[in-house]
Amino acid sequence: MAKPMGEGTQTKAGDPAPADGPQRATPAPAKRRHRLSPLKRREALSAYIFLSAPLLLFVVFLGGPLIAVFGISVLEWNLLTQPQFSGLENYKQLLSDPTARAAIQNTFVFAFWSVVLHLGFGLLLALAVNRAMPAALTYFLRTAYFFPLIISWAAVALMWRYILDPNFGFLPYYLSEIGLSIPNVLVSPGWAMPALIFVDFWRTIGLTFIILLAGLQGIPSQLYEAAKVDGAGSLQRFWYVTIPMLSPTLFFALVITFIGAFQIFEPMYIITQGGPGDATRSIVMNIFETGFRSFEMGYASAQAVVVFLVIMVVTLLQIRLSRYWVHYE
Amino acid sequence: MVMFAPFYWVLVTSVLPPSGAFSLPPKWVPTGLTLANFGQIFELIPFGTMVLNSIKITVIITLGSLVTSSLAAYAFARLEFPGRNVLFVVFLSALMIPPQVTVIPTFMIVRTFGLIDTHEAVYLPALVQVFGIFLLRQYFLSIPRDLEDAAKVDGAGYFRILVRVILPLSGPALSAVAIFVAQVYWNDFFWPNIFLSSPEKMTIPVGLVALQGYQGGAPAVVIFAAISMVTVPLLVLFVFTQRAITESMAMTGLKG
Repeated sequence: MAKPMGEGTQTKAGDPAPADGPQRATPAPAKRRHRLSPLKRREALSAYIFLSAPLLLFVVFLGGPLIAVFGISVLEWNLLTQPQFSGLENYKQLLSDPTARAAIQNTFVFAFWSVVLHLGFGLLLALAVNRAMPAALTYFLRTAYFFPLIISWAAVALMWRYILDPNFGFLPYYLSEIGLSIPNVLVSPGWAMPALIFVDFWRTIGLTFIILLAGLQGIPSQLYEAAKVDGAGSLQRFWYVTIPMLSPTLFFALVITFIGAFQIFEPMYIITQGGPGDATRSIVMNIFETGFRSFEMGYASAQAVVVFLVIMVVTLLQIRLSRYWVHYE
Repeated sequence: MVMFAPFYWVLVTSVLPPSGAFSLPPKWVPTGLTLANFGQIFELIPFGTMVLNSIKITVIITLGSLVTSSLAAYAFARLEFPGRNVLFVVFLSALMIPPQVTVIPTFMIVRTFGLIDTHEAVYLPALVQVFGIFLLRQYFLSIPRDLEDAAKVDGAGYFRILVRVILPLSGPALSAVAIFVAQVYWNDFFWPNIFLSSPEKMTIPVGLVALQGYQGGAPAVVIFAAISMVTVPLLVLFVFTQRAITESMAMTGLKG
């Protein structure tokens, strides 16, 4: 592509206009060829040039790999030896491998609770903050809740790893002071996952809160007043005005919370390393381990395909079901 | 309150000497301050280098993706060409692809080119940001065409129009994309963790975790010092730019 970009001096083969200097953007070219006038062809060419870099990057790093994972998932390949075609073996292995199954199950559990907590508490927080509050307080609260999101998972996870540890941190200590003594959550199979769900909630509630707050603030107050005039109590106003008007925002929050939760990796990897046993292993963590620790590329790819399909299917399902409860203007 | 307490505790503990640091009940007001822990960070890991690495990678990704996104967004917004709609839908659908899905084939590509454990492996894949393309295209579509038409009459080609007319008008959208991209990649752990292995190449998040893992694990107070060094500047930055950042992130709905 040796053409200089866009100064209008190019002419093309077969161009009926004489090449007598810079082209002007004058209308009405003399003939139409190949369904595109020369002007339009220049436009299309420019477009392709503009898109060349993004498209190349896209194919190499996004589109290509997406197709490639499907391809790799039917191979047995450990990077040292030649890959061998193995059909659906990897997928069958997924069904029988207890670690992988635990990982999938854990991830669904995590995602479920993450969604419930985010939507529930996010909504409560947003409702609480939405009442007339001094701007300074709103500003402070938004900063406080949103802050953990801009800190890397690495820092957050490390921090909580120590807070939760009874030998170091203050959380078990204070909990026992108020009578709730809990075992060391880092090594207790029953408590580890809830602890991680909590840590993720602590970090990401800010986003859900902001989104729902924005949604709440978009509800015209006339609707509430009209409802009051009709004699609706606050619970009724909530149910008949707030929820329906908020439903598009709730839907958006639901979709992104699920997608984000299903991909969870850092807390498991950094705090508990998937343990104790397999109690906190998430599917992405398992992909990491099978792909980059054991170098079973085919198996890891199969799991990646599963992640992708689950996200697609669940999101599509949510979209389908949304027509029953989401009200748009 | 609840949200700040963990950070505050980390900050306080990081200026305490190792032996007395973790008594229970925890000390909320430090006594016996020491800055030795901060110095120790640098003995254990090349932290300064890591900061530079993070800066370098984040800047390259942010600027690079602004360039590629602007080019693509302009093509999609203003130029007509065969296949435009199909291609745009293809790009858009990539938003649904989580990074874990692409990492394995990307790893193979990177390996083929011998780029494992280089910064290129981290920033090259990030130079195409579909979100950026989408957002900028929306913004470009809303700019009135008159200015571009005037420029065309004056003989400007498309590239010149993009650079001289469109981009100067797109400040808000460009900064929204820049803030989002910078924030995501500054904090990214998953990708650099996979592709970078030598400490001198690591970025801050990977370095932090390495601090815990390497050489038997650093004393907790040192880790806390590192965490403080990382979070306090961000907090300060955040306080001043809060509105811009939260709006930028809420627009995408993606968690950093």
